Amino acid sequence: MIPTHEFKLSHFPAMVIFALVISVAFGFLSRRSAYRRARYILWSFILFLLIGVGIGWAMYPFSH
Amino acid sequence: MPDEVPIVEPTNTVPIAPSASPDPVPASERHRRDALALTIAAAAWFLPGLGHALLKMWGRALVLFSTVALLVILGAGMRGNIFSRNGEDAFAQLGYVADLGAGIFYFVAQALEPNGPDVSHANGDYGTRLLATAGVLNMLAALHAYEVTRARKA
Repeated sequence: MIPTHEFKLSHFPAMVIFALVISVAFGFLSRRSAYRRARYILWSFILFLLIGVGIGWAMYPFSH
Repeated sequence: MPDEVPIVEPTNTVPIAPSASPDPVPASERHRRDALALTIAAAAWFLPGLGHALLKMWGRALVLFSTVALLVILGAGMRGNIFSRNGEDAFAQLGYVADLGAGIFYFVAQALEPNGPDVSHANGDYGTRLLATAGVLNMLAALHAYEVTRARKA
């Protein structure tokens, strides 16, 4: 059995880590040059966060 | 005497494209490449990044291995649900397919979760999503390796 550490992440850090990891993977898969990769990763990361926060705000009225 | 300029009637004829040239790659070579592409896709699925490593795409291989490993370690550490083969409903079966996409990391995730999943809290629910994402991402990478081997992508 492999010893493991239990992670406790709240909503926002979980979303940031998810967005960052997926953006990096997508950037490396879909672009070849370093500059275009960096630009794609940055854009993808920002859009993940903005859309995530936007959907959160859009759902806010239904939770109250 | 007026200049008589011949009037060229516009024609609506579209130049006919030359017929598709026969595939320059011989059939035996195509079959060999297809078999190689399937082998590389299987390797890419089994160990994340291995398919791209076999294609000497070292950067992609390293990033894919790291991202899938990180997602699995985080997902298991957050006590996400690792779906088993005996899913009760379609969602559980779909989750099993997504989780299994991580290849060998599916079994690593099980080993990393000695206390089992805990989806009664949001933390465990996020972990379930991260585990499924790791699998789907690895399947996408395997498909990419397959397409690269068949020379459809760069």
